[in-house]
Amino acid sequence: MQDAIKLSPAEQTLLGHLRDAGDDVAAQRFEQSGLPNRRVEEYHYSDLKMLLRAVPEARAALVEQPGTTVAFDGVARITIANGALVAPSGLPEGLTVTIEKAGPTTGSDPMAQINAALAGEAVRIAVAPGADVTLHIDRRTEGEAALSADQVAIEVGKGAKAFVVETFGGSDAAHMVNAATSLTVADEANATHVQIDRQALAVTQFVNNRYELGANANLRTLTVNTGAGFNRVNVFGHFGGGDTHADFGGLNLLEGKQHADITLDVTHAVPDTTSSELFKSVCRGDAKGIFQGKINVAKDAQKSDAKMMSQGLLLSEGAEIHTKPELEIFADDVICGHGATCGELDDSALFYLMSRGIPRVEAEAMLIRAFLDELFDPLDNEPVTEYLETIVGDWLAAAAASEGK
Amino acid sequence: MSSPILEIKDLHAKVEDDDKEILKGVNLTLNGGEVHAIMGRNGSGKSTLSYILAGKDGYEVTGGQVLFKGEDLLEMEPDERAVAGLFLAFQYPTEIPGVATMTFLKTALNAQRKARGENELSTPDFMKAVREAAGNLDISSDMLKRALNVGFSGGEKKRAEILQMALLEPTLCVLDETDSGLDIDALKTVSDGVNSLRSPDRAMLVITHYQRLLNHIVPDYVHVFADGRIVESGDRELALELEQKGYAAFDGKAA
Ligand SMILES: Nc1ncnc2c1ncn2[C@@H]1O[C@H](COP(=O)(O)OP(=O)(O)OP(=O)(O)O)[C@@H](O)[C@H]1O
Ligand SMILES: [Mg+2]
Repeated sequence: MQDAIKLSPAEQTLLGHLRDAGDDVAAQRFEQSGLPNRRVEEYHYSDLKMLLRAVPEARAALVEQPGTTVAFDGVARITIANGALVAPSGLPEGLTVTIEKAGPTTGSDPMAQINAALAGEAVRIAVAPGADVTLHIDRRTEGEAALSADQVAIEVGKGAKAFVVETFGGSDAAHMVNAATSLTVADEANATHVQIDRQALAVTQFVNNRYELGANANLRTLTVNTGAGFNRVNVFGHFGGGDTHADFGGLNLLEGKQHADITLDVTHAVPDTTSSELFKSVCRGDAKGIFQGKINVAKDAQKSDAKMMSQGLLLSEGAEIHTKPELEIFADDVICGHGATCGELDDSALFYLMSRGIPRVEAEAMLIRAFLDELFDPLDNEPVTEYLETIVGDWLAAAAASEGK
Repeated sequence: MSSPILEIKDLHAKVEDDDKEILKGVNLTLNGGEVHAIMGRNGSGKSTLSYILAGKDGYEVTGGQVLFKGEDLLEMEPDERAVAGLFLAFQYPTEIPGVATMTFLKTALNAQRKARGENELSTPDFMKAVREAAGNLDISSDMLKRALNVGFSGGEKKRAEILQMALLEPTLCVLDETDSGLDIDALKTVSDGVNSLRSPDRAMLVITHYQRLLNHIVPDYVHVFADGRIVESGDRELALELEQKGYAAFDGKAA
């Protein structure tokens, strides 16, 4: 066994939380490795040892009356506040919500392991076979600055259709949130999963998404990072059944000193599966947007087809966008490709719009909206698309205001 | 007499990051009601002139002056020029994916109205105006449903430019090779569209390579552009003479 390394004060606090949670294995593991630094490939652009200066001393405690991040018209909502499920009411038919003991994590991601150690319970959401449901999960961290960890496990039954939108929000305090969502899509099921970060700027957030796909199934995802000062989202996707397609999407919409990192790892484990990965970053100020994407094709996964694309829009000198695509292919009859673009707004498009009398700020806004359209449009859910467009609108208005135009 | 719509006085210009001068002393005055045609070799600077009038970045005016209805045009931002009444029909209209054509038209129209202190157009009024203008130019409603200029054929792009011009009702229309890429019927349709906009308080600057366009849009003046300036001006006959003799007779260069 190797010697324990020197832990930073933030790491010491986190270690204390792991011990308090009673997970000795996790505590011991953490004591030996600490937080991942830039030498850990998956955390190359998000050196947590450097970036994580403080971890709240307090664990998030039960709250009586949590707030609401947003109400989507006609969409059932369940709230999870400070890690605890608020007794749901008015759930649509075909949906069962239960609480179970938090599951152990699969995989080796250190933040996912910490989530598993800290989250006491998991909210299990089952969509009955053949059902068709739309659900909003409002995940909140309320009160004074606290460390909060929660788990949601969604199971979409055979032949069912589910649209799940999750929002992350809460009080303005400097919380550290570690959330996990697993989504299992059974054979012939169709699922859409949208995640929208509406946290306060002071929040540091880790999100671990795990998708498990059956045969003849379909999945679309979109994760949007825009609120928290620091965000790290892991996306693990696993194809376990043939004739299945998934579209993975993500957006970092950042300003000021925000840092958001989406790291994706998709495995085509069986033959005849297809995927697309589309990730975009729009950064202004000194913000940093990161996308790392890895596609694995197993030896037997013939006829896999994966197209990964990363696009960045830099709106200021100080902004940074980092992209790292990776393909690991062991099958021979596959089509896999990746591309990346990164640049400023297209000058000639901007000029064209302005030459018709549209003021610069408005023309820029039109082009930014156009850039994002490709992510929002396929969601096919009006209240959610409208909400996303409002977020973009507010973001653009704030940008225009701070530029004093 | 009222002041001219456009006065270009000894205009010199170059590309920002290049020392080569492209415009070498352009002089041109357009009064209300007049249509001027500019003809000239490839690369002589015609599009550069139109871009500088519209305010495109990347060019540096090194001398001279441009007055638009008596105001210093070169001081204005591109959107201010449009609001003041200038319209450039681009030689190569830009494709803008993700921006719906109708949204764009409405935004542009209302931005101009707002800047002029007028009320925004209601959606039904706007739709009516677009439908009418589109009908006149044989533009299908399917085209209007697409993203701006995306997937439009060469000729469709040119027609879409004239549609914008008809909706925005500018005082100065600069048409940069609007005829190139148009089939014979489309040339007639587009020319009719342009002609219907001719009016005593509007001026037009028509850049073309083909005298055929000038059979449809009959100009009051024709200018021969060579190496960054106007080397010869005349009436309609000059275009015919040019077609017979070629540019060499005017700029002294071999054909
Ligand atoms: N941005 C630029 N950078 C470098 N050179 C340029 C730029 N814009 C124009 N030029 C040069 O200036 C000259 C004039 O170009 P311009 O496009 O104005 O010609 P034109 O008369 O419109 O030609 P055409 O009939 O082919 O459309 C050309 O030699 C062109 O290469
Ligand atoms: Mg030209």
